[in-house]
Amino acid sequence: MSTLSEAVGPAEPNDTPPRGLWRQGLTVFCENRLALVGLGLFVLLAGVCFLGPLVYQTDQVHTDLTAVYRAPGEQGHLLGTDGVGYDQLGRLMLGGQTSIIVGLAAGVLATIVGTLLGAIAGFFGGWVDAAVMRVVDAMMSIPSLFLFMLLAAIVTPSAPMLILIIGAFAWLGPARLVRGEALTLRSREYVQAMRGMGGTGGRAVRRHIIPNAIGTVIVNATFQVADAILYVAYLSFLGLGIPPPAANWGGMLSDGLADTYSGHWWLLYPPGIAIILIVLAFNFIGDGLRDAFEVRLRRR
Amino acid sequence: MTSRFPGRALRGAVAAAATIALGAGLVGCGDNSGSSKDGGSQGKDTVTVAFRTPNWILPISAPGFTQGENAIFGQALYRPLYQYRLDGTAQYNIDPQRSMAEPPQVSDDGRTLTITLKDNSWSDGTPITTGDIQFWYNLVTANKDKWASYRAGGFPDNVEEWSIKDEKTFSITTTEVYNTAWFVDNQLNRITPLPRHAWNKDSATADVGDLASSPEGAQKVFDFLTAAAKDPKTYDSNELWQVTSGAWKLEKYVPNGEVTLAAQPNYSGTDKPKLSKVVLRPFTSDDAEFNVLRAGDIDYGYVPAANMSQTSYLESRGYTVSPWYGWSITYLQLNYNNPKSGVLFKQPYLRQSLQMLIDQPTISKVIWSDTAAPTCGPVPAKPGTNTDTAGCVYSFDPAKAKELLESHGWKVTPDGQTTCQSPGTGPNQCGAGIAAGTPLEFTVTSQTGFAATTKMFAEIKSQMAKLGIQLTIKEVPDSVAVTPTCAPTEASCSWDMSFFGSQGSWYYPAFASGERLFATDAPVNLGSYSNPEADRLIEATQFAGDESALTAYNDFLAKDLPVLWMPNPVYQVSAYRSGLQGVEPQDPMNLMYFQDWSWK
Repeated sequence: MSTLSEAVGPAEPNDTPPRGLWRQGLTVFCENRLALVGLGLFVLLAGVCFLGPLVYQTDQVHTDLTAVYRAPGEQGHLLGTDGVGYDQLGRLMLGGQTSIIVGLAAGVLATIVGTLLGAIAGFFGGWVDAAVMRVVDAMMSIPSLFLFMLLAAIVTPSAPMLILIIGAFAWLGPARLVRGEALTLRSREYVQAMRGMGGTGGRAVRRHIIPNAIGTVIVNATFQVADAILYVAYLSFLGLGIPPPAANWGGMLSDGLADTYSGHWWLLYPPGIAIILIVLAFNFIGDGLRDAFEVRLRRR
Repeated sequence: MTSRFPGRALRGAVAAAATIALGAGLVGCGDNSGSSKDGGSQGKDTVTVAFRTPNWILPISAPGFTQGENAIFGQALYRPLYQYRLDGTAQYNIDPQRSMAEPPQVSDDGRTLTITLKDNSWSDGTPITTGDIQFWYNLVTANKDKWASYRAGGFPDNVEEWSIKDEKTFSITTTEVYNTAWFVDNQLNRITPLPRHAWNKDSATADVGDLASSPEGAQKVFDFLTAAAKDPKTYDSNELWQVTSGAWKLEKYVPNGEVTLAAQPNYSGTDKPKLSKVVLRPFTSDDAEFNVLRAGDIDYGYVPAANMSQTSYLESRGYTVSPWYGWSITYLQLNYNNPKSGVLFKQPYLRQSLQMLIDQPTISKVIWSDTAAPTCGPVPAKPGTNTDTAGCVYSFDPAKAKELLESHGWKVTPDGQTTCQSPGTGPNQCGAGIAAGTPLEFTVTSQTGFAATTKMFAEIKSQMAKLGIQLTIKEVPDSVAVTPTCAPTEASCSWDMSFFGSQGSWYYPAFASGERLFATDAPVNLGSYSNPEADRLIEATQFAGDESALTAYNDFLAKDLPVLWMPNPVYQVSAYRSGLQGVEPQDPMNLMYFQDWSWK
């Protein structure tokens, strides 16, 4: 029964307890088939990357120059080998771990930093807001990829370093979004009431602004993760990724391009397809979460 | 709710999809791409060449600007006094056709070389005389510290008397009786006549005079010319560079971009250009170059090692594919002055262990697709001859490397971190300056843009990791620039190992002695290697009258390992349109003579 029909129809006795907000959100999310497909894709890819090596064990540390460019299926290499003898399927799993871990961590880091700064700027306003937002404006005026490349060229890339580099610049978007939410939330009655009873600004931000903006934050976080995975791929593609024997899908795609003309298709397609699938998965999940947090789509 | 991210992330996914779709097209439809066999410049009088943008024009080499492309560019505009060829047919290896002077006449006591110039002129018609050589001599003598070819005790310190006889003849008397072949090949090769009638001034507006005849004046002139050479954007407009002696003149120069050479109509040499233009086009990577080559958009390029399987395709498209062997060696430079790792590199047993973990034959065969050959010592093998390490002192032997480390007090932890367990200077201890617990971990500064180099270091890293030696590979565009010769106290001395040999680390002049590479304080001794015995043997090569000194020097350094010897790649596997004549033979000393090129 929809909210509208309930509002205009006669009141009926209802013995079932009202469902919680999270459960309602879950129901809406599950109604979005693409979101479910995205979730399934992510679970599948993460499962293959993190659990696959337990089943399909390969040496991803030592090269083997006696086994380079084996075709898929040859000598037990399901997806062949690359130019220094690494098993390609094993490498995809290893590369996926890096891409997912760095993507998730950088996305979460950017979301946390952006949410905090955005909430503080929006709630307190004045010079705090002006300072934070001018920094955001200034940093947004420089293409992110250029900054990432610059930093990655200066420091030796590693997984933690990539997380920091990407997270350090990807918080700008969440900060703007949450700041906008905070601007509207700070004038709500319950916030005013809390302040009137002596509540501090910190408490307002912690207990009211951030919790009420959580929908925006979570939806945005999924896209942050997708963006971060792509940034890792971009940097690795440009030769600024984590050096071997570590791997990630962007670097594998870049290496595969060097072998394009040699007919070694298994070095090109799999990492490219994996990047597409993981980014699509997070986009679909994000769309589903947006629906789930959209109050108007919920049944009451 | 709106977000700035979904669209961008989706676009990213679409970009990735486009990338693999493009790759799919290239993988699946290879034979349909590219231009026709008759495309490009064939049948015309222009040739387009894949070539890194040169960044130095003054024919006096400067530190940091000694790359091969600068040498080729420089000699196309300014002819050296002598040019050489290694086919063993000419006296002192002097190329009689290209050289601007007759071979030197040596006095009975062996100390005086008398040189007579041939009739040549500058592009503006002014005759080239001994005055132009005197001008060069004045400049380098007064500015030795700024000249990349200078080494204390070498040229011009080893010249006792420099004498101009007349406009065509001059003589050089040396301080000692040198091996004439060495002096002619490795000292006189630096002389390049300079147009004093256009350059002998200290500012663009000053009148040309005789300023360089005094050391102070020569310094001012040198500073003026150097400043102009450091301003590439004016190369094609600055009047200084309009007066040339070479077969070509500079028509267009784009910094970090394309360079166009036009035939010099007033060229006085006998090897006149047959083409009217040569376009030098740079590429950011092997892949970028190969894509353009495969599409048939350049007349002369190279095949990266990863694409050697495409040789037959290129040949079917009308290209001739030919390896360009160099009179060169390739090595991994060690920094003996690094405050941390220098003490480790000073231990001969450690260098030997590291060397025994480099599988040169297999790397040459598999990763370089047989376009590289092992380096065994400082004197190059005859180009194209050595294919294994049969003659090397140290062959690939991980077991022996491990034994060597353990016998010197190291706790070897395979796939972990090997550390010094027994510090001290005894025969079974790690060695002087190495504390207990010191790890074997090094950073290699390598080159970007070379797929085979990346794979090679993945292999070496893997082999070293098996003995607990941890390598971090850092790729940079110009590894020479960031790994300079340094003192231990300098901040720039933090580098451990440097590799710049994706096309060969060092190309020798005709006489392959090591006074510029491995002598103490030599100008290209980036790692500050120093060994009195090596200095003595290098010195001896300059005086001995036969090959024995060169052999002794080679044998000593092959064993002492001033650097780690690495697979020596061909300079490149050239691919040029079959209609392009005169490309062969490709000069082992890494020069290109575009004036010999012509279309069928």
